Amino acid sequence: MTPRTTRRLLTAAGLAAFFTLPLVVTDRYFLHILVMTGIFAILTSSWNLLTGYAGQLNLGHAAFYGIGAYTSAILATRLGINPWAGLLAGGLLAAAAGFLLGIPSLRLSGPYLAITTIGFAEILRLVAMNWVDLTRGSLGLYGIPPLTPIPITSNVSIEFTSERNFLYVLLIVLLLTVWAIRRMIRSGFGVTLKALRDDEVGAESIGVDTARFKLTVFTISAFFAGVAGALFAHYQRLISPDTLSLGETFAILTMTMLGGLGTLTGPILGAVILTFFSEWLRFVEDMVKLDVRMVIYGLLLIVTIRFMREGVVGLLVKLPWWPKTLGKGGSDGR
Amino acid sequence: MADEILRTDGLTKYFGGLCAVGDVSFALSDGEIVGLIGPNGAGKTTLVNLMSGAFPPSSGTIHYNGRSVGGFKAHRLNKMGIARTFQVVRIFKTLTVLENIQASLIDRRRYGPWRLALTSLYKRAYSLDADADARQEAERLLDFVGLTDYRDELAENLPYAYTKRLEIARALATRPRLLLLDEPSAGLNPRELDDQIGIIRRINGQGVAILIIEHVMKVIMSISHRLIVLHYGKKIAEGAPEAVYRDPRVVEAYLGGDAHVAH
Repeated sequence: MTPRTTRRLLTAAGLAAFFTLPLVVTDRYFLHILVMTGIFAILTSSWNLLTGYAGQLNLGHAAFYGIGAYTSAILATRLGINPWAGLLAGGLLAAAAGFLLGIPSLRLSGPYLAITTIGFAEILRLVAMNWVDLTRGSLGLYGIPPLTPIPITSNVSIEFTSERNFLYVLLIVLLLTVWAIRRMIRSGFGVTLKALRDDEVGAESIGVDTARFKLTVFTISAFFAGVAGALFAHYQRLISPDTLSLGETFAILTMTMLGGLGTLTGPILGAVILTFFSEWLRFVEDMVKLDVRMVIYGLLLIVTIRFMREGVVGLLVKLPWWPKTLGKGGSDGR
Repeated sequence: MADEILRTDGLTKYFGGLCAVGDVSFALSDGEIVGLIGPNGAGKTTLVNLMSGAFPPSSGTIHYNGRSVGGFKAHRLNKMGIARTFQVVRIFKTLTVLENIQASLIDRRRYGPWRLALTSLYKRAYSLDADADARQEAERLLDFVGLTDYRDELAENLPYAYTKRLEIARALATRPRLLLLDEPSAGLNPRELDDQIGIIRRINGQGVAILIIEHVMKVIMSISHRLIVLHYGKKIAEGAPEAVYRDPRVVEAYLGGDAHVAH
């Protein structure tokens, strides 16, 4: 078997497993964890595009997530807009916010940009907390409708109130997100982003309009995060300003770093590992009666940065049986 | 003058109160090699930075192809045909050697970020796996600078001399009419130096005008058609290499006030 066939078979097997999982799993709690994993995988993949590939340190990703969630929720509850349209609206408004947050990135980089992005998300969180007329403040928005059923025949339709059916929608969106990001990364666009990350002055010297590229990648990354937020709103049907919190961004960051920053599979792997791990931590927290999650996230981050800079994916590519075609010139087609 | 491609008039750049380049006027013709020399701190790199759009001039003008381009951004000047290399190399170190070239081959006049991103969704735009033309051109450029054996190596793993060549290949991939080389021979051993001279001559042979900053006299004297000398930000001499080399003002600038010209 050529490496290419091996890879195709692996992809096919992976996709088959991906789509049969919701059928095999019957436990609703487990399905819920899978949904949260999927939402986080969209968030980590989109954050990774901006921070891992384009090198723009964004610590306000939760803002895009929150904007998507609130946009779709408010449109549905106040104006009765169809949640499916809300997904798109949430993504687009988040993209507009991404464009705006991209503007300071034209002059700032590294820690300065990071602080600006934290500030951006904090301002939005405070707006969500205090604009009670629109958002109901810290009580949160409730009564958000689920995704509208899709009619098949006159009396049969697909409902999205069950975790399983929702999971299918989510898997499709996740697949589209990862596919789009993968296509972009493997094209001249991705090479340009990486060039920009490695050396901005060098990139300018070969004709890269770095300002426009940064705005573009901020916008694209925010769009996907916004869609994830809107999906979450119609799944949970209750959202609070917590969706915009720094803790949310920190979870996205830890997952991506753990899985492998600047790789395609790393962010997804990190989302899977940490979503399940943090559910397990709930039991531990109940036992020790302490909120230890953030402490453990912090420790994981330190260990990852110190001992496995390229994350779990970086370790996997060192395994002899791992398909090497995934790692051409660096781990996982970096 | 016929076929003049670049002209500066009274070009001046201040950093705070320091005059890095002061009232420098000169012209470059199509296809010529001009050496830019001067002691350390003379303002050579600042001049190249001005010509390549790293920052705008404080005063004075730059005309490229008859068009005033002072204050144009670097990416815009590159799209107009001015490419450059850097004194301290600025290659893309986490990319492979081939990908470094790939990044430069993209036709950025036609493909802005949105078009590039959206095109990638239905077509493998400028993906070397799928785009045979781009791949062939990249291979040709690597062969030209002798880096074919290293094409899948990460750029950060290249020996120093090769990173200099990679930067030249990367600049050439943007199809320049004018190439600005900032100390392309610094830190090279004698053999590498000869290779570098050969590469620069061949680039010029393809009709590319070259402005080269260089301290290595062997290089500058053997390839320059003309020399320009900067001292404390001012142009103190210009002309044929042999004449400039003997110019008392130049000798004085390099060796100090009391030095005599040895004949």
